[in-house]
Amino acid sequence: MRIRAHPIIDFKKRKELPFYFQKKKIVGEEGDTIASALHAAGVRTLTTSLKYKSPRGFFCGIGKCSSCLMRVNGVPNVRTCIAPLKEGIQVEMQEKLAELPNAEFFGEPKKTIDVDVLIVGAGPAGLCAAIECAKQGVSVLIVDENQRVGGQLIKQTHKFFGSKQERAGTRGIDIAKELEDDLRKLESEKKITVMTDATVIGCYESDKKYRFGAVERCDYKSILYDVRCNAVILACGAMENMLLFPGNDLPGVYGAGAVQTLMNVYGVMPGKRVLMVGAGNVGLIVSYQLLQAGSVVNRIVEAAPSIGGYNVHAAKLRRCGVLIQTSHSIKEVCGEKKVEGAVLIRLDVNWKPIKDSEEYIKCDTICLAVGLTPSTRLLSQIGVHLDYIPEAGGYVAPHDESMQTSVKGVYVAGDASGIEEASTAMIEGKIAGLAAAIQLGGSRNKKLLVQYREELVQLRAGPFGEKPRIAKEKIAKLAEVHHASV
Amino acid sequence: MKSKADVVIIGGGVNGCSLAYRLAKKGLDVVVVEKKYLSSGATGACGAGIRQQWSTRENASLAIQSVKIFEQLSKELGQDIEFRQGGYLIAVHDEKEMKQVEKNVAMQRSLGLKVAILKPEEITDVVPILDVKGMRAIGATFCPTDGHANPFKTTFAYADAARRLGAEINTHTTVTDVKTTQKAIRAVVTDQKTIQTSVVVNAAGIYSKSIAEMVKIKLPLCPFRKEIMATERLQPLFEAMVISFRDGIYFSQQKEGQIVGGIPISEEKVGYKTMPTFAFLQYMAQTLTRYAPILKHINLLRHWTGFYDVTPDARPILGEVKEVKGFLQCNGFSGHGFMISPMVSKLLTDLIADGKTSEELENLSLERFKSKKIEKELSVVG
Repeated sequence: MRIRAHPIIDFKKRKELPFYFQKKKIVGEEGDTIASALHAAGVRTLTTSLKYKSPRGFFCGIGKCSSCLMRVNGVPNVRTCIAPLKEGIQVEMQEKLAELPNAEFFGEPKKTIDVDVLIVGAGPAGLCAAIECAKQGVSVLIVDENQRVGGQLIKQTHKFFGSKQERAGTRGIDIAKELEDDLRKLESEKKITVMTDATVIGCYESDKKYRFGAVERCDYKSILYDVRCNAVILACGAMENMLLFPGNDLPGVYGAGAVQTLMNVYGVMPGKRVLMVGAGNVGLIVSYQLLQAGSVVNRIVEAAPSIGGYNVHAAKLRRCGVLIQTSHSIKEVCGEKKVEGAVLIRLDVNWKPIKDSEEYIKCDTICLAVGLTPSTRLLSQIGVHLDYIPEAGGYVAPHDESMQTSVKGVYVAGDASGIEEASTAMIEGKIAGLAAAIQLGGSRNKKLLVQYREELVQLRAGPFGEKPRIAKEKIAKLAEVHHASV
Repeated sequence: MKSKADVVIIGGGVNGCSLAYRLAKKGLDVVVVEKKYLSSGATGACGAGIRQQWSTRENASLAIQSVKIFEQLSKELGQDIEFRQGGYLIAVHDEKEMKQVEKNVAMQRSLGLKVAILKPEEITDVVPILDVKGMRAIGATFCPTDGHANPFKTTFAYADAARRLGAEINTHTTVTDVKTTQKAIRAVVTDQKTIQTSVVVNAAGIYSKSIAEMVKIKLPLCPFRKEIMATERLQPLFEAMVISFRDGIYFSQQKEGQIVGGIPISEEKVGYKTMPTFAFLQYMAQTLTRYAPILKHINLLRHWTGFYDVTPDARPILGEVKEVKGFLQCNGFSGHGFMISPMVSKLLTDLIADGKTSEELENLSLERFKSKKIEKELSVVG
């Protein structure tokens, strides 16, 4: 189902793109991914699990899980949640292990790209890093897995808190637009190369410069790039956490980010009656956005004894009549082929389920907003030292004030350096970008670097910055031990 | 952690753990010390193949007897190690190689192994996806009882069984010194505790060299980085492991559908280098699609590096060294430690528990490198 009336976003009808699903004609819209078009057409099951043959549907929406792998134009295992929809394509379900491809391929040899700085991820941190770097006259290649740049900003319809410099009071979607405009301007001046729908696959042995492999997808096929750079900024963001309960893989159970992507990026309604699991900021904000899109939010359950998110968000939901239950969690999902309801359960002070406290509720959608884990796999492969810091969301790379990790020339920024917010991610991106430019001799503006650091400290000084502040203090301490000499 | 043991095994790979299991079964008090986690070294990085087609009699014999043990190992250990016999198809590229192959096959058959020499047109009967012309093969050998097993599950199954029999396995524990008195083993010092013992087994893979240096023994071991890749999962296409000694390539399809294989890159030199190379990606893709063109355009999902601990004759170093009483070697496997681990642990158990030595152990002792004439294993791949 498409959302047509929305208080913030203009979802007018876009150009129709007919395509085929299991040989049947379906009509999507320009700007859709394959999975969003299928979802809008009511297709919930995208694949079946190999072991138990259970149906699987749209879950992460950002190409991280494997529950949307389908065969597209004869190419197996295409991640349809990030693959752009094209007119006339043939989309098929893979009932078992994939058959070999029967498509025509480019057979193009690898291409080599030589730049000063490679930036992985074009979310708030990556974009700010790229813009900062390029402004200092350092050549930049920025790579992102999605069709559009902006990362999670392109789905954030709410107004930001924080400092004026970091655009407090502005909606995430508008910030994304501003940053993209800046990026495209620098791109047209040939100061930045932007590669979307592409993945950095690994770091390889190299004598002088860093050497990375990147794969750019084009018409569901890929081109290999051999990327040489002097520094790299990893702004790869985070992955959504999963919760263990029977039925957690049924179509209709989504990560909160996926729900946001569907409704705020593609204008597709995830479901009609929603159970939200988690009352942190993400759970609260996405619940409100669901109401704005026209869904009913049945209930918000939170395992902790108190609400984790900002009170303003919770109060807004309560005014709309949404019940938020703390010390409650989901026990199991009901339904055979799709979500039909859920059993909730009350928890005691030790988060243990209380006997006979089960309650059944009817819903067609379950949204999991149970935290994020930094994406650190590329960091780990490069050989960067990682430490487990629960307040930062898991394993993170200790980094210094310049966002440099234990490996010289390897920088982190944003959620990949510890879970925080888009506003801090943007400043971290600027710091990493400027520091890399200084390191490579492109700039001497250390004063600006100091100013950015002060802004970051101020942003974290608020009452809601406590957890990330603890995390970053721990990271700073560890960085002293593992820090690369700048 | 215990402070006394009959035997201390250094290294929690498949050989260390299988030896711990067999010794514990004999009633010995065994302690394993592993620097990282079980199977974190060559075991966990290996290609998981189990082959009996070797050029030296020792290796062939060890492998044949090992397969007999592998065949019933899941049952013996009470855990599925995913042993599967899909055979090994070894490509032969020219007449000279064919002559060596005929010699090898005659020796292998004399040991009771069933091996066939295939004509070019028979190759695709075994592995239908191969392009014989592209492989530039004039024939092949095929042994249907070769196969593979899951190296992680095998190691964990051995470790669990060893623990049930009373062995103590300490992971994330680093050996810092090995103490001797009057040329006999006295104790193993770790970063946690010191363990009094009279027998130490050095099963530390590429790190065996530095362990041996602690008692002033020099091992002729060289670390060689090896790279392996795994593709996306595909429908079942073939069962055999395909290898070529000339091209150095090997690949097979695992139970879960991914194709796993490796190839050495030409510029590779000795050293403790852990980063993967871009050259491997290209060379592997070129060679793999020359062998099996229909694998063109499938995606590579993972790529990792591991180490071969290579000896001058590509055969392992086993048994007690002459210079230090109670100091036993179980290293230098040169890339095939997993496949012969069942027999290696059996022979070393016979020696440690029953004082029984064997012809194999004699031939594979460190002493052999002192003589000028060593028989080199020729059938090495990867």
